[in-house]
Amino acid sequence: MASTLPYRPSNDSLSTSNPKTNGLPRLSPAPSFIGRSPSGSHSHTSFRRTSAENTVGYKPRRCKSQYPLDSPERHVEYILVASFHIDRGPIMEHQYPGPISGDESMLAELMLPDQTHVRSQDWTIFFLHKDTSGDDDDDSESGKKKKKRKSKYRGNEEGADIQHENVDEASEGESSEEDDEEGGEGPPLMYVLNLVNTKQDNTVRRGAVVKAMAICTRHSFLHIYKPLLLLALEDYFKSPYPETLASLYDAVNNMDLSLMPKLSILERHILQSSNTKEMFIEKFEQMIRQREEEETENGECPPSPKKMSRYVLPRDTHEFESKVVYHDIPIPVKIPTVIWPETVGDFSLIKLIQTFAGPHASSPQAFPNHPHLTTSGPFTHPIIVLVNAILTQKRVVFLGHNRPSGEVAEAVLAACALASGGILRGFTRHAFPYTDLTKIDDLLKVPGFIAGVTNPTFANHPEWWDILCDLPTGRMKISSHVEPAPVTEGLLFFQQQNALLPNHTSNANSDPTGDNIFIEDILRSISNRHGENAIRAKWRAYITKFVRVAAAFEEAVYGASNLYIIGPGEELSPDSPTGQQTDASDPASLRGHGYVWSDEIAKQRELSASVSRIEGWRNTRSYYSYIQDIAAMYFPARPIQRPDLFHHHDRLRSLKLSHAESAAIYLALSHAVKDYAGICQLLTVAPENQAGLFYLSMGLFHPDQVVREATVELLDRIAAHPAGRHFWTHLSRFAKLAYFRVKRDRDAAQSPISGVGSPTGSNAGASFGGEPQSLVGVALGESRSRKS
Amino acid sequence: MGGQVSKMMGKIFGTKEMRILMLGLDAAGKTTILYKLKLSNQDVTTIPTVGFNVESVTYKNVKFNVWDVGGQDKIRPLWRHYYSGTQGLIFVVDSSDTARMEEARSELHKIINDREMKDALLLVFANKQDIGGHLSPEEVTQQLQLTKLKDKLWYVAPSVATDGTGIFEGLAWLSNNVKTQPQK
Repeated sequence: MASTLPYRPSNDSLSTSNPKTNGLPRLSPAPSFIGRSPSGSHSHTSFRRTSAENTVGYKPRRCKSQYPLDSPERHVEYILVASFHIDRGPIMEHQYPGPISGDESMLAELMLPDQTHVRSQDWTIFFLHKDTSGDDDDDSESGKKKKKRKSKYRGNEEGADIQHENVDEASEGESSEEDDEEGGEGPPLMYVLNLVNTKQDNTVRRGAVVKAMAICTRHSFLHIYKPLLLLALEDYFKSPYPETLASLYDAVNNMDLSLMPKLSILERHILQSSNTKEMFIEKFEQMIRQREEEETENGECPPSPKKMSRYVLPRDTHEFESKVVYHDIPIPVKIPTVIWPETVGDFSLIKLIQTFAGPHASSPQAFPNHPHLTTSGPFTHPIIVLVNAILTQKRVVFLGHNRPSGEVAEAVLAACALASGGILRGFTRHAFPYTDLTKIDDLLKVPGFIAGVTNPTFANHPEWWDILCDLPTGRMKISSHVEPAPVTEGLLFFQQQNALLPNHTSNANSDPTGDNIFIEDILRSISNRHGENAIRAKWRAYITKFVRVAAAFEEAVYGASNLYIIGPGEELSPDSPTGQQTDASDPASLRGHGYVWSDEIAKQRELSASVSRIEGWRNTRSYYSYIQDIAAMYFPARPIQRPDLFHHHDRLRSLKLSHAESAAIYLALSHAVKDYAGICQLLTVAPENQAGLFYLSMGLFHPDQVVREATVELLDRIAAHPAGRHFWTHLSRFAKLAYFRVKRDRDAAQSPISGVGSPTGSNAGASFGGEPQSLVGVALGESRSRKS
Repeated sequence: MGGQVSKMMGKIFGTKEMRILMLGLDAAGKTTILYKLKLSNQDVTTIPTVGFNVESVTYKNVKFNVWDVGGQDKIRPLWRHYYSGTQGLIFVVDSSDTARMEEARSELHKIINDREMKDALLLVFANKQDIGGHLSPEEVTQQLQLTKLKDKLWYVAPSVATDGTGIFEGLAWLSNNVKTQPQK
């Protein structure tokens, strides 16, 4: 499966030839792993192994922790302190537990943002590309030489990583659900959260002291450390010694997140797009149960006499609550359960959208035309221009003159998340949430970056950027130096193909991309206060659609798509008519895949509107990463490969189908979707914010009784599913009444002798269909289904 | 729209706009001069500039956009990024810091020999004239070797930034000598 995919050439080759492609300090490997000494007395490792062997039938699969206690990874790897020396400029004062190595003065410059002397406090975020593993260099080696060697090494290593991962996926088969970590684009980034304070002090020369403290972590939820940095930097002003850093380091690394369950990619997807606060609470319960069993088996008495009160369930499963005890002060922290790739810190998409939507709404300014960027003409919405720019790997600069550097950093992080939608990646890796003139030469070596600056001199250098987003005015500018969109083969071929068709770009439809409608919908959601999560979900849907449209485009123009792995028995579009069965005896062999348009004209119209930006995307880092991801995620994200659930659910949603056509879909779904993972997959294509189970429940009204009963079985299974039960609860009363009616009819039609067992004899249906009063059965059935 | 109106007003009433870059060694008094220009009647206390400051000051119908960039030797290589579009350079020297006069000379010549700065006017503030042991403007001229410069319009103004002495005179020289309106 993986071998058919093109090998990703992207920036690996670049980084080999150019040691500073990223423009970021490429640091030496960590001094070596110091395994976290098990803070308690017992060793979890040994226990875990035995318990894994003992898990037989009786218990559901052991739930793993996202951040196990025995993990060698620390929450925070380094604490740094820098200050502005009045003669020498920025210098590093202390590093704990050891020197982070690399270019110290560059780090110090990043920690002391421009104009920090005009405000008493400022936050910044920046990223370091630092390896986790590899050979242990002696730390004393000089920065530059090491950088060069290191990055070369990294280039080779990446290639190896990729292969590894694919092999792992293939060989692990059913357990691969767990192994869906991000595909390899090198080691995870090191995220740095930095706080600067400027204190006026008449007792010192030139009247002020400027100091900054930073936390370096591999976790992208670095914003939780803000209160701690505030306290610790204050302490450091009083006692400027390494001990202050040490006590912060110990406090944050003692944070216990071990009861946070690890979720599969499908579960994460469901949780993220749901507003239900108890979604997957079962997993949290199980984590606690496991912990208590471990403690009993190890003969440990919990320190608190009341066992139950030791561990509490989260009020909202989207967040895990824990605390950091710093100098005896417990500081509560909330860690997001689901972290999508490219989501770093606590930015707000709403804020970013409003910043640029406001001025555009009051007095729109025309952009110069660029096929990649102005996809809806000169008055393309600036947010769409921004997303297009990031998708086609342009150089994007956010400028916030006289704004705190934390604000530009937030805008950069929000922009990354916007273009990623949690689906595409490779943006944060080339993002510079805060940077300044000192790094400009390195920055310009990066092909396509997203950078945040506060220095207005960037505005005077249009040769440095393609898009300039000015935060104070909310205006976006396309550079006069932007590279024109190349004419690609795909573009020419597409135009040839469509030369025969009537020219639809010029006809009445003024919004062929649908972007105007989409932005209107987003703005309406914002003004109706639907909240950040809803907006993120909408962007996720937008990027999902973009990728699916791109896949359809590739299939149409190139004859095959790298962006979609077609299921077994399926062929490429022209030869594989949608809605037909390859095997007449197997309803699940229903054909068809990909994005659904109402008709061919609509498809051509949308494709021709998007062709430029799709072609512009097809040579970027995020494109190649995505191809890598779908290969790696093929099994974990698509336990059901046939039929294409997304495609057929879309057909139910957006097409007028004949009874026969819809019957085929309902039967196919009912036959294919049976196990836990399969139901998860189905739920991901029917998120709560897009009508949930509504379209599936319409099968209850189908004229054919077989279809109605198949739908009942499917809904039975969903309702008994730990996540599906919430979807069932949200189903309308109307649909539920129909469900009970179908069920009653079926039971009545069956011989009065046995009310048990479902007529179709479907094995999964049997376990639920047998309940005489299904309402209760459904509610109780949930505990059983988890056995499967 | 608003920008266009003000541009038109500028044409009618002859308001000029001038991009000024202010450089000099650390602790020469750049930031103090900037804020003395901006807030003429107030006392100014400054702390070391991390990065830069930029302010616009209108004086004698000329709108000066003054960039003041930090002077620690490590951050001096960044000065060049501010050159493009600059019409006037204000170079500030601490006249009492005789030990670093040679360093100041070398930095100044580096700047004005840059291609992007060849048309810029040069105003030198011989600052801190109130401190004992200071050099006179003539001595500063000599130490900075300004007479060697060809094709360069320059002027040395004595100043005491902390009380504002001399700085508006310097600005007047700039506004009298600026030739053309910058093309926007």
